[in-house]
Amino acid sequence: MTTPSDSSGAATEPAIGTLPEALAEPTVAEGAQPSIWPPVPRLVLGIRIAIGVALSVVALYAPFYFTPENNRILSQAIYLSIAAMGLNLLTGFNGQVSIGHGAFFGVGAFTTAILMVDYDWTFEATIPVAAALSGLVGLLVGFPALRVRGLYLALVTLGLAVLFPRVASKYVDGTGGVALLRPQRSGFASLIDGLDDDQWAYFVCLAIAVVLFVLAWNLVRGRMGRAMIAVRDQEIAATTVGVNLAGTKVGTFALSAAYAGVAGSLSVMINRIADATNPILYFQLSIEFLVAMVIGGAATILGPAVGAFILVFLRRNTEDLIEGKEILAPAIFGAALIAIVFVLPEGVVGGVRRLLARLGRRSAGTPAARPAPASASDVPNDSTNPGGSHEDGT
Amino acid sequence: MDGRTFTVTALMQLFVEQVLNGIANGVVYGSVALALVLIFRTTSVLNFAQGEMALFSTYITWKLADEGDGFGLPIVAAIAISMALAFVGGAVIERVLIRPVEQARSPLNVVIVTLGLFLGLNSVAQLIFGTDPQFMPSPFPEGSIELFSSGGDTAVIQKSTIGMIIVLFAECALLWYLLQRTKAGLMLRAVASNADSARLHGIRSGRMLLLGWAMAASIGALAGSLVAAQRTGFDASLMTTVLVFALAAAALGGFDSLLGAVVAGLVVGIADALTIQYVDALDGIEVVLPLALILVVLVVRPTGLFGRRTVERV
Amino acid sequence: MKTGPRPRFLAVLLALAMVGAACSSRDDDDSAQTETGDGGAAAESSINTDDCVSDPTQEIEGDVITLASSFPQSGLTAAFSEVARGWEAYLEKVNADGGVEIGDRTFTFEFKDMDDQYNAAETATNVEELVGQDGGGAFAVFSVIGTANNIAIRDFLGELCVPDVFAATGSPAWGNPDFPWLIGSTLAPYSLEGYMFAEVLNEQQPDAKVAMLVQDDDFGRAYEEGFRQAIEGTDIEVVEVQKYPTGASEVSAQITALAASGADAFFNGGTLLACPDALTKAAAANWTPITYVSATCASKTLMGLAGAAGDGVYTAANLKDPLNPEWDEDPAMQEYLDTVQQYRGDGFDPENAIVAYGYTQAAVFVEALKAAEGPTRLAVMESVRNLDGISDVGLLLPDVSVTTAGEDDPYMGESLLLAQYEFAGEGQRNHFVPQGELVDFEGQTLELTPEDLVTG
Repeated sequence: MTTPSDSSGAATEPAIGTLPEALAEPTVAEGAQPSIWPPVPRLVLGIRIAIGVALSVVALYAPFYFTPENNRILSQAIYLSIAAMGLNLLTGFNGQVSIGHGAFFGVGAFTTAILMVDYDWTFEATIPVAAALSGLVGLLVGFPALRVRGLYLALVTLGLAVLFPRVASKYVDGTGGVALLRPQRSGFASLIDGLDDDQWAYFVCLAIAVVLFVLAWNLVRGRMGRAMIAVRDQEIAATTVGVNLAGTKVGTFALSAAYAGVAGSLSVMINRIADATNPILYFQLSIEFLVAMVIGGAATILGPAVGAFILVFLRRNTEDLIEGKEILAPAIFGAALIAIVFVLPEGVVGGVRRLLARLGRRSAGTPAARPAPASASDVPNDSTNPGGSHEDGT
Repeated sequence: MDGRTFTVTALMQLFVEQVLNGIANGVVYGSVALALVLIFRTTSVLNFAQGEMALFSTYITWKLADEGDGFGLPIVAAIAISMALAFVGGAVIERVLIRPVEQARSPLNVVIVTLGLFLGLNSVAQLIFGTDPQFMPSPFPEGSIELFSSGGDTAVIQKSTIGMIIVLFAECALLWYLLQRTKAGLMLRAVASNADSARLHGIRSGRMLLLGWAMAASIGALAGSLVAAQRTGFDASLMTTVLVFALAAAALGGFDSLLGAVVAGLVVGIADALTIQYVDALDGIEVVLPLALILVVLVVRPTGLFGRRTVERV
Repeated sequence: MKTGPRPRFLAVLLALAMVGAACSSRDDDDSAQTETGDGGAAAESSINTDDCVSDPTQEIEGDVITLASSFPQSGLTAAFSEVARGWEAYLEKVNADGGVEIGDRTFTFEFKDMDDQYNAAETATNVEELVGQDGGGAFAVFSVIGTANNIAIRDFLGELCVPDVFAATGSPAWGNPDFPWLIGSTLAPYSLEGYMFAEVLNEQQPDAKVAMLVQDDDFGRAYEEGFRQAIEGTDIEVVEVQKYPTGASEVSAQITALAASGADAFFNGGTLLACPDALTKAAAANWTPITYVSATCASKTLMGLAGAAGDGVYTAANLKDPLNPEWDEDPAMQEYLDTVQQYRGDGFDPENAIVAYGYTQAAVFVEALKAAEGPTRLAVMESVRNLDGISDVGLLLPDVSVTTAGEDDPYMGESLLLAQYEFAGEGQRNHFVPQGELVDFEGQTLELTPEDLVTG
C-alpha cells in the first residue's frame, strides 16, 4: 500500500512517531500486526485527500480574501482548535475529563503578556516559554489528578478555572490599575514583507496549529497513544499488560496543558490582551474547549478544529439574531449546541466518517469508527464507560 | 486592628460570630449541594444546568410570591407550587432533551446538553423576569435569638438560619429514607449505578431516570428559593456564586452522601468566614480555601469525607 | 501510484479561488483617506496628531454621524444595557428634531452597538470591527461600559485617533495624558468620592475611625487610596479594610470583621448586590456608623433592597433623581420621561438611575458637538476635552456644571452634591435628598488623586 505524500490526508500505516518510545519498538510501524487503526478503503482515502487539499488551499488563501476583522475571527478559531485538541488528548483519548483547561490557557496568555510587557520579549520567543510553563502547571495538577477520576476530576479542574482569574487579578498589576495586560501592537508586527499584521498572525497560528495537530496525530498512533487509549478504556487491564499508568496519565495531562498554554499565548497575539478582570472568563473558555471537542468529534484528530470553527461561527452569528432581544443570544447558542449533539451524536467528524464508511467498500472486520471517549460520570464503577463498543461501521 | 484592648471574651465572641456567619452561608451551600448529590445518585450525570434550573424555579417562586410584580401568594405556597412545577419541568427536560442523547456512545453528549440548558435557562429567565435584582420574602420568622452576651456585646443567630438548618436536616432525612428505605429509592439507585443491569432485573430505567431528574429539579427549586430568601437580593447570578461552593461541598462530602453534603456545606461556609476574618493574605480570594480543601481531601481520600469506596473490576 | 481525481479537483479549486479573488472583500488599497480636510484646528491642537493612523482632520462625509458602542447586552451583567436606553432615546429625539449642527453643517446620528458580555477582549473585537483597522468605520466610540473594557480599546483608538468618549465608569485612569483620545463621563472620579465622605466626617465626626469595604480590584483600590489621601492631615483614621471578590452578593463575614474593628464610620465601596447586603448585614449586627455608599449603589433597585437599613446613608450625586418628588414638575425631568417613553418604549423603568445617566451623557455630548469647530474627529475631541461649563442639560442638578480643560482637567464629574437617603417606608418613593452646598472640585481631580491611580 502506498502512502500519498499529502500532509492533510490520512495515511494507511501508523506513522512512525516522533517520540523515542515509538522508535524503540519498530515492529509497530510495519503494519504486519493488526492495528487498532483499521486500514482505510480506497474511495474513502480519495475523498479524504480531496478534502485535505481543498482545506489546505482554502486555509492558505483565506487571509488574502477576508478583511482584517474576519482574519482575526479565523485566527481565534485556530487557537481555539489548539486548546480543544489539547483537551481532546486528555479527555478524548485518555479519558480524564477536565473543565479547567481555561486555567492553562490563562497561564500561557499571561506568560506571553508578562514577558512582552515587562521584559520586552518578542512575541514569537514567548511561545515556547508559555508552553513549558503551562505544561509544568499541568504536570503539577496531573499528580493529584491521579487520585481522582471522572466527576471528581472534573470538579477539581473546574476549581482551577474559577481560581485562576482570582489569583491572577491579585498579582497582576496591569495598565490603569486593572488586572489586564496589553502588549504593544509593534510586538506582533509581521516578520514577512508583503504580509499584513493580521495575515502574519493568521499564518503563525495556522503553522503552529498544523505542527501541533500532526504531532497529536503521530502521538495517538504511536505507543504513547495506545497506552493513553488503553488507560481510558480499561485502566486496570492496561496496568497488567505493562502500561505505566501514572506516567501516561500525568504525561498526557502535562502535554494537554501545554497545548492549552500555546493557545493562550496565541490568543495574546490575536486579541492583544491577557485579562484577569473577568471572574468567569476562564471557566467559559474551559467550557468552550469542551464544546468544541465534543461537537467536532471527541477522540478524532480533525474534530477539535471542526468544532472550534463551528463554535466561533455560532458565537458570531447568534449575537444579533433577534433585534432588541440580544439577551437571548446565549439561549440561541445553547439551543444550537443541543441541536448539534442531537443530529450528530458522534460529532461532525464522527458523522462524516460514518458517511464515508458507508460510501467506502465495507471490508468485513474493519470498523471505521474509533472507540468513544470515556465517561464524564464513571465514578461508581466502570459499567457506564462505553469504551470498546465497536458495533458500528455497517 | 486598632489599639483597643481586646478581652478574651471579645475575641471569642468575634470567633463565634464568624462561625455563625459561616453557618448561615453553609446551610445555603449545603442545600444546593444536597440537590447536586441527589441528581448524581439518581442519574449519574454531571448536570451543569442544575444551578440554572434552580434559578428559573426561584424566579417562579418570586413571581408567585411578590406583591408588587407578581401574584402575592404566601411564600410557603409559592415555594410548594414552584417545587411542583419544577418536578414537571425536570421530567420534561429528561424526556425531551436528555433521553435522546443518553443512548449516545459518549456520555459527554449529555454534558453538552446540560451546558446548552445552562446557557438557555439563564438568558430566558432574564428575558422573562427582567435583569434587575429582586427581593425574595423568607418563609422563616424575622429577627434573631441571643446566644450569649458579655460586656454589652451579644452574639445572635438569625431565626432564618435556624429555620434553614431545620429544613436542611429534614430534607436530608426524608431523602435518605426515600433512597435507602423505599422500593422506588432502591430502583433509582440501581438505575443510577448500572442502568443495563437494572434493566435486566426488570426495572424500567427510563422511568426511574425521569423520576430522578424530576426530584432533583424539585429539590433545586426549594434550595434556590431558600437561598434567595437568605440573600438581601437576588439576580440571575444567584447560582453562579453559590455553585462553586456547593460543588466544593458536594465533592468534600463524597458526592454520594446526603449527610456528607450538608456537613461539608457547613464546613465550607465556616472555613470561608474564618478566612475572611483571620487571613488577610487571602482577602478577595477566599475561594482558594474550599478548593484547596477539596484537593487535599480528595488526594487523601479520593471518595470524599463521607463517600464509600467502590470496588474496581476489570 | 493512482492519483485519481486530484488534478481535476485542483482545477475546480483554482477556479473557485479566482472567483473568490474577483469578489474579494479585502480592501488592500491603502490610498484611501489621504486627502486632508480643513475642519480641525490642527495647528493649535493640544493633541499630538503626528502619528495618527487615520487622518483626524478629515470632515465627515454625508450628513450622518455614526457612533459605535459596546456593552453587555446578555449574560450576567445584561442590566447595564439600560444605560444605552437613555442615550439612544436622547439621540433619537435630536434626530427627530432635525439633528445637530456642527460648524455650519447639520448631522443626524446613527448608532451601532454590539454585545460584549462585559468581556474586555470581546469589547476590543467589537470596537475594532465597528471602527475598522483604518478608522474608516464609526466616527467615534461612545459610552463603552467598564474600566477594563475601555482600557482594552484605548490604545487602539488612540493610535487611530478615533475619539472614545464618555467612558462609562468613574476610573481616575481616564485622566491619563498618554491617552488623549479617551475621556470619561459625568460620573464622579472614584477618588473624589473619598473626599465627599471626608467632608461629611470633618463636619460631623472629626476623629472618626473608618472601616472600609471595597471590591478586590482597581475600583476598590481607587476608593481606598483616594480616601486615604482625602483624610491626610485630619484626625480621621482608617482602622480596617475588607475586600470582597468581584461579583460577590454576600458580605456578612466582612461586615462582622468591620464592625468588630470598633469603627464608627463606614465607607461602603460595594457595588451591585454587595452594597445593599453590606447595609442590611450592618443593621442586623446593630452596627450603626455614619455610612457612605458608592455612587454606583445609589439606584432605585439596590437601595430598595437595603430598605430601612439604608436610611441616612450618604452618597455623592450630580444628577436629578427621578424618584425625588422635588423634580416632578421640573421641565427637564418631564422631557426626560417623555423622551425615553417615546423613543425607547416599555420593558424598563425610567426611574432607574442608570437610564437617567445615559440620557445625560448624550445631552452633554450633543452640547460638545455643537461647540466643536467642525465635523472632524480632532475638532470633536478637542471640544469634549475643553467643555466650558455645560449646565442645565439632561438631568444635571442645578448649579452642577461640566468643565474640562485639556490634559490639565480631563474630568467631567467634578462638581457634586452630598445626598442622604431618606427611607419613608416600604413602597414609598424612597430617594436620596441633596444636602447643603455644591462641593466644587473643578480642575482639582488630578491634584487630589494619588498619581498611580491616574497613570498606573
